[in-house]
Amino acid sequence: MKTLKCIAVTVLLAACIAVAPAIAQDKPTLIVGAIYVGSVNDFGYNRSMKDGLEEMKKNIPGLKLIEAENVPETAESERVMENMVQQGAKLIFPTSFGHMDFALNVAKRHPDVFFYHPGGYKVAPNFGNFFGNTQTAWYPIGIAAGKMTKSNKVGFIVGQPIGYALGNVNAFEMGARSVNPKVQTIVVVVNSWSDKSKEAAAANALLDQGCDILTMHVDSPATIIQTAEARGAMSIGFQSIESRKLAPKGWITGLGFTWGKFMTQTAQSVINGTFKPGFVRQGIAEGMMAVAPFGPSVPADTQKLVNDSVASLDKGFNPFTGPIMDNKGVVRIAKGESWGGDKMGDFDWFVEGVIGQAK
Amino acid sequence: MIGVLLRGVLAGSILSGTLLLYATLGEVIVERSGIVNLGLEGILLIGASVAFAIASVTGSAYLGVLAAAAAGGIAMLLFGYLVVGRRANQLATGLAMMFFGMGVSALVGKSFVGGVIAGLPKYRVPWLSYLPWVKGSTLFNWDILVYLAIPVAVLAWWLLFRTRWGLGVRAVGESPTAAFAAGRRPELLQYQALFLGGLLGGVAGAHLSVSLTMTWNEGMTSGRGFIAIALVIFSKWHPLRAIVGAIVFGGAEALQLQLQAQGAQVSPFLLDMLPYILTLAVLIAWGGARRSAAPAGLGRTFYGTE
Repeated sequence: MKTLKCIAVTVLLAACIAVAPAIAQDKPTLIVGAIYVGSVNDFGYNRSMKDGLEEMKKNIPGLKLIEAENVPETAESERVMENMVQQGAKLIFPTSFGHMDFALNVAKRHPDVFFYHPGGYKVAPNFGNFFGNTQTAWYPIGIAAGKMTKSNKVGFIVGQPIGYALGNVNAFEMGARSVNPKVQTIVVVVNSWSDKSKEAAAANALLDQGCDILTMHVDSPATIIQTAEARGAMSIGFQSIESRKLAPKGWITGLGFTWGKFMTQTAQSVINGTFKPGFVRQGIAEGMMAVAPFGPSVPADTQKLVNDSVASLDKGFNPFTGPIMDNKGVVRIAKGESWGGDKMGDFDWFVEGVIGQAK
Repeated sequence: MIGVLLRGVLAGSILSGTLLLYATLGEVIVERSGIVNLGLEGILLIGASVAFAIASVTGSAYLGVLAAAAAGGIAMLLFGYLVVGRRANQLATGLAMMFFGMGVSALVGKSFVGGVIAGLPKYRVPWLSYLPWVKGSTLFNWDILVYLAIPVAVLAWWLLFRTRWGLGVRAVGESPTAAFAAGRRPELLQYQALFLGGLLGGVAGAHLSVSLTMTWNEGMTSGRGFIAIALVIFSKWHPLRAIVGAIVFGGAEALQLQLQAQGAQVSPFLLDMLPYILTLAVLIAWGGARRSAAPAGLGRTFYGTE
């Protein structure tokens, strides 16, 4: 019996020693936390964030990613992020606009943890802000819509009327008007980034009013694109270029985010100790955004116009250059003035040609 | 302009109102038997998630609807065991069922989020849907649940007011002791009413996920269960008046979006409040008179004859 016990203990010790190096190797190079406001399977914003994070994880060996989906934009998110910090996260991406203030609270409590928030505007020593230059990127998309519409009415469904979303609508309408002066964009606000039944009802309402193209700024374009496709209308996607799979006939084009390169750079800078938070706005040229492939019904000359416009953006063209009038006749951007990336959150008005209430 | 608005509101109210009608009919039957079910929201969510899950897996939206009805019925039987079998407080148990439904539906739906289904096929009424005013809208081009909504309401009315079974259910709702004395079995009747209510609630949830939005999202019913409970009061616990209620409330939802699409000069935040303000206004205006129409035994627990 005593011999048996000795052998058992020896075997156990040997096993522990054999396994120990493997456990020691499990310490990750960096633990990154990410919270999503919805589900990552949404063909939209959350999907694009997930894709970016997965690319970052692939590019940096030994990186551990902790994620939480369906985290609401309330104090609950603070608790979830705090939990991630306790698990050892040194870099956190609170991926939704409304997570901003709660993330800032956590950042103040943990100055050694870094935060990079997409879509907001607050900055702190360990808290940075990044987003795609969506507003100007919507201009070429507007060109596509302006050429493809036959009823001259385009429907735009907006989740929450924040300045950045209104800026998207404005650039879209200006782009459409540049090729078709009669185009009107009708805006319906659903007051939620992700309320599918309201989105379906809003899409139906816009189609009832005679719109033949639908586009949106909500978390997931899926419901709206499917509703448009079911009623024979065309659609333009946003957030994720994968959404074109939902509209084999009516897809025109779309705008998607490709966050992977930026996220990899950020994670690498945290590992190297060179992280400096800033207010980053990158566009198609820097690889943060991409124009989706065109649908089967888009003619070659329209595609060329859109591509040319994208190229002009890369060369510095800014559609928000005065004089620009709003839809009530007031001049909002004076002649000679131009609004840059830092003013994109300031929109509380719509340009001429947009039918809708900004507030 | 007005014509287009009217057509849009009518089309939208029928689409949004169908699921409200099914949910309200289920709740009417349940409340007629004397039980208040505050967990209707949970039943709707269970129905929506099960319907979407089954439709994704089998490829048939109809199977999804049937499965949703069954799931709703089973959930209501569970509720029944708690309030009838164990005599738990109906209001608290109902709310607990709501949270239960939210959780179960999230669990069931989790692996199906983002899935794409074909949805319930739509059928056009041959002549009516090509009329000039109707053409181009969704009017008379609906799935089978919309066409069946009013017949089911008539069926519910007939069941409650023209059959012995319905008489028994209503008797239990007014006074379970009297019903028991007359030879009925209150508990059995309540279980049956609850099961029927669950079937209808499941179907209502299914319509949302498998026809209206063709997707699943956690919590996607957004409070419609509670609107249905208010509609039961609005309709004086009568299935046929529930039709009017469902159209009115479905219309309120549709109206605010149609007004926005027409360019109304009102803030979208104020317009968003419209359905809820309407609910409150209706309950204030008619709530008092309606209370006398409630089943006398509503919410009270029957302790048997021991």
